[in-house]
Parts: sequence; C-alpha cells; structure tokens
Amino acid sequence: MKLNRRHFLGASAATGLAGLSGLPLRAQENVLNVTAYGGVWEQAIRDCFVAPFEAKTGATGTVSLGGPAQWLAQVEANPENPPLDVLIMTPDLAVIAAEGDLMDDFTVEKLPNLADIPQEFTDACLGKGTYFDYGVGGITYNKQYVSEPPKSFAAFVEGVAAGDFIASVPSISYGPTPVFFLWALNNALGGTVDNVDPFFEAMAKMKDNLVFWAGPNDFFNHLASGEADLGIYFDGRTWNHVDEGVDWIDFINPEEGGAMTTVAVQKPKHASPLAWDYINEMLDPVNQSKFADILNYGVTNKKVQYSEKLAARVPSMSDAILPPYAEIARVRNEWVDRWNREIGM
Amino acid sequence: MRLTDILLWLFTAAFFVFMLLPILVVVVISFTSAGYAAFPIPGWSMKWFARIFEYQPFIDSLIVSLELAVVATVASCLLGIPAALYLARSRSGWATAITTFLLSPLSMPMIVIGFASLFFLSALGFGVSFLALCIVHTVICLPYVIRTVTAVYRGISPAYEEAAMILGASRFTTFREVTLPLIRPGIAAGCLFSFLTSFDNLPVSYFFGSAQTNTLPVVMLAYMEHQFDPSIAALSTLQLLLAVVALIVADRLYGIEKMTVAT
Repeated sequence: MKLNRRHFLGASAATGLAGLSGLPLRAQENVLNVTAYGGVWEQAIRDCFVAPFEAKTGATGTVSLGGPAQWLAQVEANPENPPLDVLIMTPDLAVIAAEGDLMDDFTVEKLPNLADIPQEFTDACLGKGTYFDYGVGGITYNKQYVSEPPKSFAAFVEGVAAGDFIASVPSISYGPTPVFFLWALNNALGGTVDNVDPFFEAMAKMKDNLVFWAGPNDFFNHLASGEADLGIYFDGRTWNHVDEGVDWIDFINPEEGGAMTTVAVQKPKHASPLAWDYINEMLDPVNQSKFADILNYGVTNKKVQYSEKLAARVPSMSDAILPPYAEIARVRNEWVDRWNREIGM
Repeated sequence: MRLTDILLWLFTAAFFVFMLLPILVVVVISFTSAGYAAFPIPGWSMKWFARIFEYQPFIDSLIVSLELAVVATVASCLLGIPAALYLARSRSGWATAITTFLLSPLSMPMIVIGFASLFFLSALGFGVSFLALCIVHTVICLPYVIRTVTAVYRGISPAYEEAAMILGASRFTTFREVTLPLIRPGIAAGCLFSFLTSFDNLPVSYFFGSAQTNTLPVVMLAYMEHQFDPSIAALSTLQLLLAVVALIVADRLYGIEKMTVAT
C-alpha cells in the first residue's frame, strides 16, 4: 500500500490516541479507588486503613487526593459506574449525597464495626454513611500575647468587643464557617437555627477588633505575625502546629462546647463491594486510634484507646456539640446572604 | 533629570518592588529551617526541597502535568494553526463568528468549563480519565494558539505566498517554505502560553482528578489544605525556576520581542 500524507497523519493520530493511557476509570476487580485529603492525611489513610485492607483482602487500594465537592461531582456525573468506591465527605455534602440517593445504606451486617459507632453519627448521614473522625472548633491563642484567654464563647465576644484582644475569625468564603463558627457562636449565645440574631449582634459588637481568615494557613499567619492575638480555629490543626515546633500556640474548647466538625465516609451505589471491607477497616478501633495519633483529631469508635498525649488533647464526644447539619443545610443560603450584607467578608 | 522623570522612575521602581517582593518572600520561605511557613525565617535549610522528592504524589502529579501540557499544546497547534490561517484571511461573516466561538473559553469561568465538561464527557463515555483531561485542556489552550497565530499572520503581506505560488510552489510547499517560517513567532508564543496555561490550571483539572490523573496544582491544593509545612513554597520556587528557564530558552530560540508582538 502506498503511504500518502493522509494515511501518515491518520496513523500518527491513531497511534497517539492509543498511546494515551487515558481510558476512563472503571471498576476493576480487586482494585479499590478510595479518597483522601492531601499531605499527612493521605499518608495516614494509606498506613492506617489501606494497608490493613490490602493485607486482609489481597486487593489493591489506590488513593485519589482532592476534596469532597470534586468527588461528589464525579460520582454525580457517573452514577452507574462511579470512578470512586469510597468517599470522604464533609457532613453537609454527605447529607446532599444521601438525599440524592447516590449512596448505599450502612448496616451492621455489611459493617460489623458500625455497631461501635454512635448511632447519631449514622443518622446524621441519613443512614447512608457515618462519621469516622472529628475535630472541634474552639479558641486558639498566642500564649505570648494572651495570658488569660477567654474560656467560653461569651467571654470571647466580650473580650474582643472591649478591645482586649484582636481576633482572627473565618470568613464566609471558607466552607465550614457557617457551621463551626456561625452556628457554634450563635448556639452558645442562645440562638437557634431559625434565629441567628445573637451571632450577628455579637459580630457587630466585635467588628472593630476582627480580622478574617480565608483559609487555615491565613489564621496561623495572623497569629504568627501578631496581626491577631487569638481566634476561632480547630483543635487538631493547633496541635499539629505544636508538634511541628510552634511552642507559643494553645487551644481551648469553650465551656459551651465547640462545634464538632466531622468527616463522613460513604459508599456510592454501584461501587465495588470491596468498599465494605475497606470501610470496616476505617471504623476499626485499632486502626482509628493509629489514625488519631497521626492527625491529632478525635475518632468515633467507642472502643478506641487514645495515647496519653492524645487523651489530654482530644475533647470527648460529650464535651463537643454535634451541629444539626441537615437543619443548617436548609437555612445555610439565608445565613450566607445575611453575612454578605451585614459583614461582607 | 526632570521632576517628571524622577517621579516616573520612582513609580516604576515601586511597581517592581510591589510585584516582586511577594515572590521573593515565597522563595526565601522555601529555604526555611522551620517546620512552618513564617517570615522572617529562623534559619536556612534545603529540607523542603528534599521533601518534594520524598512525597510521591508530587512527583506522580508533576509527570501527569507535564504529559498533559505537552499533549494539550500539540493538539492545540494541530487544530489551531490551520483554523487561524483560514480565519485570518477569510472575508466571510462566519469567520468572525467562528473566531469568537473558538476564543470563547477565554471569557468563560474555568470552573464552569470544568464542571460542565465533566458531565458532558462522562455522558459521552470518557468519564474521569487522562483522555478527558486532554480534551478539556485542549479546549482551554486552543484560544492562545489561534490568537497569537492569527495576529502574526494578519501582519504578513499575502504577497509573499502569492509570489511563491506564481513561481510554481504548491500550496503545501508554500506553507512549509514561506508561511510557516513567517508565523513561527506566533506559534512559539501560542505554545508557550498553552503549555503554561495547562500546566498551571486548577479549576478544570480539579474535576477530573483521580489517583491516576491528578495534576500538580490539584495535589498542591489538597496538600496545602491539610499540611502546614513550607514544601509548597519550595515547589513554587521550582515552578518559578522552570518558567524562567522556559522564557530564556524561548528568547534564545525566537526572541521574546517577536513573541510579544504576536500577542
């Protein structure tokens, strides 16, 4: 056959396309696609959950790094053949995914370790998932500038309003803000999901002594640079800074109880059945205590034994408050709208 | 020296300080000995550069990003150069409409393109894959090639090509021997913009990320959200170095001045 230019270009294009290792991800037998946040999270997921899963089943776990919004969109776009088998989700997206009927039901028959997870955590995911890890939003402060930190949200508001402290608080552009800051402070000041006036009144009183952080790293920079003395932040992130050598930072779980910021695990419908074995490892008390030790966050299995260092740091589940995520989802847009009009950051 | 010259000089100096100082701070932080990002730094160390090579997802995603940027740039050239040559000289009313359509990804929010493409390509069966990523990145890189090649080609007199054809050259020979050398600065500029646009893209790549297809910006974002060490600053310094080297190579090969004329 005579090779003309058209044949050559056609063959080149076909070779190029074939060379792209780019076929869509499909559920493969004995391979489980799981999810993780980046950095230390990813390593903890591999060591604490993927490794025991692989040892017990002989299957292979691949870890996709990213975030819940990305993963949920991928499952929504491919509901019959989800590219991911296990999702790590924020509580609000877990509810959305459950309401969208995209996730499988969690039962003790499929997940024996689920029996040791508080039922309210599974109920909060509408039975289509459960929480396996939690942090608490509270008051983080710079010990060099604050000798007597506020012990409660109410004292925090009073101190900031009086100008005793400059506080760094999350801006509305940070996803968890409506729950771990707005709802938590409002709840501590006597408000309800349907009445958030106490929160906005407190913000109006504090406004001259507030700076806003858009991401967790901003908060640390505010404290490190002296731009703020204290602020609203997470326990686990604070302890991570301490473990990295930052000796001037400390955390208080407010007396009213900080908001529990949880991480949910879910299995998309039509995902690999191996996902149940993997999720059961995620709920295992031994694996969870290893995970907690690495991340400095609390975990949800009632049989978990924390190390001495962690036991002193992690607020017990009874010292934190589980926000009503489903109720908050109903009014969240109104809160954001009011925030934009009255606070603007 | 007149007062206006002094003021202009001061303004220019202030402008460069304003632009370069944040970059300089990032570069300095990448050499910190501390386990967290803070300025000024307590001591000097190369450990965060070593961390880049220890953390396998950085390396894997860097390879994906480089492969993707090359494929998207080549595909943009294969599709964009012929389109630009036709559209630049066409007198049809459709040409303007088609040019606007091909340039439209520049005016659309990237996150909308990413989200819509995920659902569209999934419906077509491409799903979350490297091939899907290549298709979407080609869509967002194509306008840069079309824009730069069109700008250069419009500035070239048709007389060169007409003279070649009058002297007996075929259309392909005319393209190869006359047109291509003349539009080369436009192609080089388009390739450079395409490569950097694809390499740095986050909002589109985000929706197609998986264990096999995560790009470097997606992994950097995931890392930054849950880790506080300065390895991201070290990675940014390396990226900066890569961009500077690319610009120096492009300058030596084609001349930055010719390429900026093309834009």
